[in-house]
Amino acid sequence: MSKETKLAVKQYRLAVAGVAATGVFALSACGAAPDEDDSDSDGGNNADASFLACMITDSGGVDDKSFNESSWQGMLDAAEENSDIEVEYKESSADTDYDPNLRSAVDDGCDFIVGVGGLMTENVNTVAGENPDIPFATVDGFSEVENVYSIQFDTAQSAFLAGYVAAAQTESGTVATWGGMKIPPVTIFMDGFAEGIAYHNEAKGTDVELLGWDEEAQDGTFLNDFEDTAGGKSTSETFISQGADIIFPVAGPAGIGALTAASEADGVNAIWVDTDGYESTEFGDVLITSAEKGLAAAVTDSVLAAYDGDVTGSYVGTLANDGVGIAPYHDFEDAVSDETKTEVEDLKQAIIDGEVTVESPASPAAE
Amino acid sequence: MTTENTTATAEQPESPEPPESKPSFARLFGRYLIEANSVMVTVYSLLLAFAIGAVLLIVSDEQVRSSYGYFFARPSDALGGSWNLIYSSYMDLFQGAILNFNTLERFQAGNADFGDLLRPLSETLTNATPLIFTGLAVGLAFRAGLFNIGAQGQMIFGMLGALVIGFSLNVPAIVHIPLAILAGAVAGGLFGAVPGVLKATTGAHEVISSIMLNNIAALFLVWALSTKFIHSETRSELVSKPVRDSAELPALLGWLNPSLRVNLAIVVGVAVAVGVWWLLTKSTFGYRIRAVGFNGPASATAGMSVGRTYATTMGAAGALAGLAGAALALGTGSGGVNTATVLEYGFDGITVALLGRANPAGIVVSALLFGALKAGALSAQPDVPVDISTLLQATIVLFIAAPALVKAILRLRTPRGGLVTLEAKGW
Amino acid sequence: MQLELRGLTKKFGSFTADDDIDLTVEPGQIHAILGENGAGKSTLMNMLYGILRPTAGQILVDGEPVEFSGPGDAIAAGIGMVHQHFKLVGPFSVADNVQLGREHTRGAGVLSIRDAREAVREVSERYGLALDPDAIVENLPVGVQQRVEIVKALSGPKTELLILDEPTAVLTPAEITELLEIMRSLADSGTSILFISHKLKEVQSVADTVTVIRRGKVVAELPPTASTAEMASAMVGRAISLEVDKTAAEPGEPRLEIEGLTVVDDQGFKIVDGLDLTVHSGEIVGLAGVEGNGQTELARAVLGLMKPASGRVRLDGRDATHEPPAERIEQGLGYIPEDRARDGVITEFTVAENIILNQYRDRPYSKRGVVDAAAVRKRAVDSIAEFDIRTQSPTELVASLSGGNQQKVIIAREFSRPRRVLVAAQPTRGVDVGATEFIHSRLITERDTGTGVLLISSELDEIYALADRIAVIYNGKIVGEVDPDTPREVIGRLMVGADADAATEADHAENDGGDR
Repeated sequence: MSKETKLAVKQYRLAVAGVAATGVFALSACGAAPDEDDSDSDGGNNADASFLACMITDSGGVDDKSFNESSWQGMLDAAEENSDIEVEYKESSADTDYDPNLRSAVDDGCDFIVGVGGLMTENVNTVAGENPDIPFATVDGFSEVENVYSIQFDTAQSAFLAGYVAAAQTESGTVATWGGMKIPPVTIFMDGFAEGIAYHNEAKGTDVELLGWDEEAQDGTFLNDFEDTAGGKSTSETFISQGADIIFPVAGPAGIGALTAASEADGVNAIWVDTDGYESTEFGDVLITSAEKGLAAAVTDSVLAAYDGDVTGSYVGTLANDGVGIAPYHDFEDAVSDETKTEVEDLKQAIIDGEVTVESPASPAAE
Repeated sequence: MTTENTTATAEQPESPEPPESKPSFARLFGRYLIEANSVMVTVYSLLLAFAIGAVLLIVSDEQVRSSYGYFFARPSDALGGSWNLIYSSYMDLFQGAILNFNTLERFQAGNADFGDLLRPLSETLTNATPLIFTGLAVGLAFRAGLFNIGAQGQMIFGMLGALVIGFSLNVPAIVHIPLAILAGAVAGGLFGAVPGVLKATTGAHEVISSIMLNNIAALFLVWALSTKFIHSETRSELVSKPVRDSAELPALLGWLNPSLRVNLAIVVGVAVAVGVWWLLTKSTFGYRIRAVGFNGPASATAGMSVGRTYATTMGAAGALAGLAGAALALGTGSGGVNTATVLEYGFDGITVALLGRANPAGIVVSALLFGALKAGALSAQPDVPVDISTLLQATIVLFIAAPALVKAILRLRTPRGGLVTLEAKGW
Repeated sequence: MQLELRGLTKKFGSFTADDDIDLTVEPGQIHAILGENGAGKSTLMNMLYGILRPTAGQILVDGEPVEFSGPGDAIAAGIGMVHQHFKLVGPFSVADNVQLGREHTRGAGVLSIRDAREAVREVSERYGLALDPDAIVENLPVGVQQRVEIVKALSGPKTELLILDEPTAVLTPAEITELLEIMRSLADSGTSILFISHKLKEVQSVADTVTVIRRGKVVAELPPTASTAEMASAMVGRAISLEVDKTAAEPGEPRLEIEGLTVVDDQGFKIVDGLDLTVHSGEIVGLAGVEGNGQTELARAVLGLMKPASGRVRLDGRDATHEPPAERIEQGLGYIPEDRARDGVITEFTVAENIILNQYRDRPYSKRGVVDAAAVRKRAVDSIAEFDIRTQSPTELVASLSGGNQQKVIIAREFSRPRRVLVAAQPTRGVDVGATEFIHSRLITERDTGTGVLLISSELDEIYALADRIAVIYNGKIVGEVDPDTPREVIGRLMVGADADAATEADHAENDGGDR
């Protein structure tokens, strides 16, 4: 008797669940069908294009809020600009993935292959050597191979300006930087930052101290990881406890950890790298400015040049060609004094004119 | 003197294990895993995993997903789109792992050589190589009733051992390669023996200690790479010196096409798998490993030293994982290794051993399968999300391990908590 | 309650565990079920208690067909079960254990301890089962724990039929007598009892009717007046000799000398406490005692699996106290462990692999670290023939063998080379009549070839049948060494540590001062 009731209840429940599920599905599935031939709309991806440009990411993924993402944006912009260009990417999770990814791009019939990250340069050289007819590009690396276009940035220049701003804004007299990995595209930022601070100390008679990077010894604090935000946070907290009130993380997505640490601590701010962090991260309220690197534009230009068949030699982004720069102050527009703003503008011009030189061992090889 | 005996029949506790001799969880789990799963379970697990993979492919594809929004208006869009997506995705995986049709066309047109055609297979084998070793490392320990979570750390030490011999010695290849491989095995073996010795002497559980040792190994690697002795002389980032050419494992098909990465390590891997099979089935050491793994107390009662078996088995397992490290240091990572070179091969070895049911032949096959998934997923980008290989791996193992896990958990609780439902074991 | 089974059948795949069982339990009747291992008794009980569903047939309660989809249904129908292995929560009180699963609450899930206590008191008074509701179960003697189980089973809403599965296996002789009395009085007050036991004498003394099951079929319905030999023969299906023929012992030199042996457990309790015992060649010394008085630890210490805190173990006159087990085995110590599944066989190994378990490193079974499969197989084939192991082949897994045949595998392993000393712990536990017969005769043969045998058994009958001398262990000490013609009551009293002096007095004609 009771068993039968139980059974009945079970069936009832099942039925209700079934009806409910069908109802939800029916409701959501009753939308009108789009027109048959309305099939474009896929952002910058042009399915019928004749030219295929491919990008191989470094570890961190294409949505790393850093150089992979910026480069991919550049690819998309190129496709947007020229509807005869189709773009695609392949993600690498470790450096052992570079070779197979580059080769599978060749197999896919890519007409132009961009390798993102200086760590990949050697692999790009190898695969480019095997395929002399396909143009390649390496971002953040320098190659002497004929069909490899080098895209580099003298980010020491933008970091110099950022360092000058940091020195002007610090109240504790201590600022800090740390890197994702000890590779030239990272240390170049740290060199420039250090020199910017030193320049401010000399010009203004201040005594701002930099933690995390010793330019002379070319050694400092590194996470050895570009994705470990937790590690980035704890590293930043260590610096904060040592008195730093401005953090300059040069570590791609791991740098988010520094922004978290800054937003949790009192009176601590940060400076972002690569992109304008006010727009690319959620921590605009602690970002004084960003040392930008015009990756996207450079990549876009290279793809468009490759489409036209004249992508050769190399490119170095500088303050002069707007390949690098310093981002607007956004929320700190009022906090940064007009005096400092003017000085930064003057310094920028001085660097462009060659009156002030920023030297980093990691600076891009001259053309 | 004669006495009437009335102890005629003693009815035994009907279950094979009386409650006071509750076997360890690892033993039960291992036993269910090795024995309770038929080949069909494995096959069904694979099919189910691919089915779930298909569902997730649909869900993650924006265009197909949106076509379900007007399912009733035009079902053909949703159904056809789903089918096309699934078909093309799995075809892409196949092409990246076995044979690329695009290349085949180019080959037939004379635009590609035979080596290009073999590249997907070469990539599959290359990816499978470390997995064979780490899978064997986990599988062998499994047979002794030990859960070796430490293959990752053992592999790291093996890699460092092979690396150091690989760049520091200057001898002909015929001597250099074996020596460097041996160094990897020894370094991994010594590191692997640690949890075994700890278990034998103090009773510390090998799962706990090997997890901790993995962390120690990972951090040790970072430190070791930064030392002057190991750090690269030409590159500033955290990367080691390259091994000498004489220690580099020769590419098997390099003569055909320099882009074919598959090297001698795969041959060593298959040979070692045969060796492990022989060890387990033919040798007294293997007999002891299996005896201790199945029933430690009975083995001890028969005079075997269970503790020594734990220590030696973990040492041997560590040596196998060390070979994975050697294969990386002297093979794909011969240009210099960094922290990312080892990926997660050690942990993937656990899933390989589970799928291979701790059986050397099964381990080789599942390593090849996972190697193919990885190669396929890497090449099928961006049409197929690269994480599909990890996802399929995880799902396969979930289906295979879950029944054994559930059985082991329930069986464990029976004698204590009184889950009468399982009294039905005997008759 | 009247319980009737009609054509009850249970199949597992192609295997038929129970085949067309007919059985009627009348109200107030004690109905014994006899059967060998694997005869189908447990399957039958599991169907009755709702754990398994019958493949065919019917269960009728008071003439009405019932269907149980779980133990809950069986309990609701008035069936209670006392499992062989107690399902009690050690750290809980008696009252908490009894109410487990149907807790007394005062609304909103608040436990009412008073109600639970009252319920226990009520049931124990009604059936005359004295119990303190507040006692912690794990501190109680085994016999009282069993009483808790019975009270728990009787506390069902209207329990009228009680299934007792091997209830006497863990009890002392005195506790057994008490239990049989309780069963009788329960039956007299109208409760029906299904009594599963292998102890033929108990069945004889308490049952109203006896049903014998063999290979899933009812083979005999016997009155309690049937002889034990008749019952045994019905179970096995052939004539069984329950006699053990043996000549008088001719003890020689000491083979196993245990001197002041003390074994301490993890908590520091002395499990074996300064124990002295000597076994000579050519004699069987029976070690009697209630389980858990240090027998297990004594045996393990003799083999070397447990390190003694003090004292010595001498084998063949040699001080073996610090030798590892392998060395002792090598030197001629044979060992039949009490817990076969845990210590005796590796059920996942084949018969052949089990037979060489303690000789796998010796020639001819292996050479230079390589197992010689042919030699192992030959040995297995020989042993299977010699020890009458019922197996399909040497490569069959031991797991698929019956308990008796598993035990024979151990016997084959241990008796295969010259023994100096044999420790046989519960050698016939869980073994059917035929195998018991065989094992007993092999033990006598072993004795007659000059081995010193220490027989550890909780079955007093087995001790009486085989031993030339009986030592009684209590609380880790030998409390008496007596001749095998000592009356049961005397040994029974020694086993529970009662009036040791009186016992030795009664016995001192042959044995002056057996306990030290």
